[in-house]
Amino acid sequence: MELIGIWVAAMLTLCIYSFLYRDNPFYRFAEHLFVGISVGYGIVLTYHQGFKPFAWNPLQEAVTEQEWIGLVRLIPIGIGVLFFARLVPSQGWLIRYPIAILIGVGSGLAIPNVMRADIFEQVHGTLAPFAQIHAGELSRFQIFGVVLMLIGVISTLTYFFFSVEHRGVVGGVSKIGIVFLMIGFGSAFGNTVMGRVSLLIQRVDFLLHDWLHLI
Amino acid sequence: MRRQVPLILCFAFGIVMALTEFSPHPFSQWLNEEIIDWALVIGPFALVLAVATLVQSHWTRIRRRSEYWQYSFLVFIGMASMVLIGIPGGQRHEAFVWLFRYVQVPMDATMFSLLAFFIASAAYRAFRARTLEATLLLAAALIVMIGNAPVGDLIWNTIMPFQDNLPSTARQWILDNPNLSARRGIILGISLGVISQSIRIILGIERSYLGGVEGD
Repeated sequence: MELIGIWVAAMLTLCIYSFLYRDNPFYRFAEHLFVGISVGYGIVLTYHQGFKPFAWNPLQEAVTEQEWIGLVRLIPIGIGVLFFARLVPSQGWLIRYPIAILIGVGSGLAIPNVMRADIFEQVHGTLAPFAQIHAGELSRFQIFGVVLMLIGVISTLTYFFFSVEHRGVVGGVSKIGIVFLMIGFGSAFGNTVMGRVSLLIQRVDFLLHDWLHLI
Repeated sequence: MRRQVPLILCFAFGIVMALTEFSPHPFSQWLNEEIIDWALVIGPFALVLAVATLVQSHWTRIRRRSEYWQYSFLVFIGMASMVLIGIPGGQRHEAFVWLFRYVQVPMDATMFSLLAFFIASAAYRAFRARTLEATLLLAAALIVMIGNAPVGDLIWNTIMPFQDNLPSTARQWILDNPNLSARRGIILGISLGVISQSIRIILGIERSYLGGVEGD
């Protein structure tokens, strides 16, 4: 089965790379199969990691082990079924109920979690090294990095602060912010390119090593 | 019923989730976990609707004999084979794992690796060092790319007699300092936006998610 798998994977890889020449039936074959397989994988994952443990199993236990509290899960199932109201034009407004609950839960969760993980932690990460400077634990070059970090964070935030006109001091600081942003975007681009190139190397290695045994 | 009840539901669930996150009381923790479980039950139904829409769109292509309609059968075949094996057999079923390992993963990796070619040609056209900002972008990208590849250090160490492994050291310094500070600024900005938007949604000021559906 492994040998067949390697041949199938190699053929599909070549089908997709054929797009580098131009759009063709082989590429369309692989593209549509990929969509179907990926959607199917998503359905299976959602069923086994979402619906089954959180809806089906509690209901099953409620009936078989008479733990009637599990029947409470019929309420979210009922609310979830309201998504299908979209298929009945006259009752389409009912879809707002599950959407409102999901958005409410997401928003309620976002406030404390974003505050904790993305604001407190990031500010702490920016300011905590100053304690190390005070304790004399950092070299001059490291101190330069810590100060640069603070300048970068403040200037980047200033660039995104649109309530004040970017003139004078604010304009100057926001220009420094642009410098940091450009370096950040350049780094992100470089990392993305290298990530894609790594995938390309991995695919070529698969074709030449695993499939053709040439290297 | 059509607008007020969803707004009340959103407010109630949002307030309860935000408050119970801060409270260590056992009932509060139970309520928090129970509501998250409810969301995990409700969420998959949205996926069913999405799949129904996908099936409907491809079925329409087949029915109308649109261009390349034959390929729509492949979408159904791929989806059905994964679902028919994976739902009853589970995620560890031999055939399901085989399809994942030899069909999905190679195609996924190949699709993304295709971008290596397109991103290179796009960069060739877009990267012109005309201004200071563009030059910084170009320089940072080049240093990160050269520093990422082991050959970068090898070339440097061969032709330059000082400062071993400078490309990878410079890359790491850029990632840890100017890049991280810009990212922190962006993350802080996004976080403040997420919090203010969440408060607006919970209080019913932001209502665009209610949309304008049929039957309104």
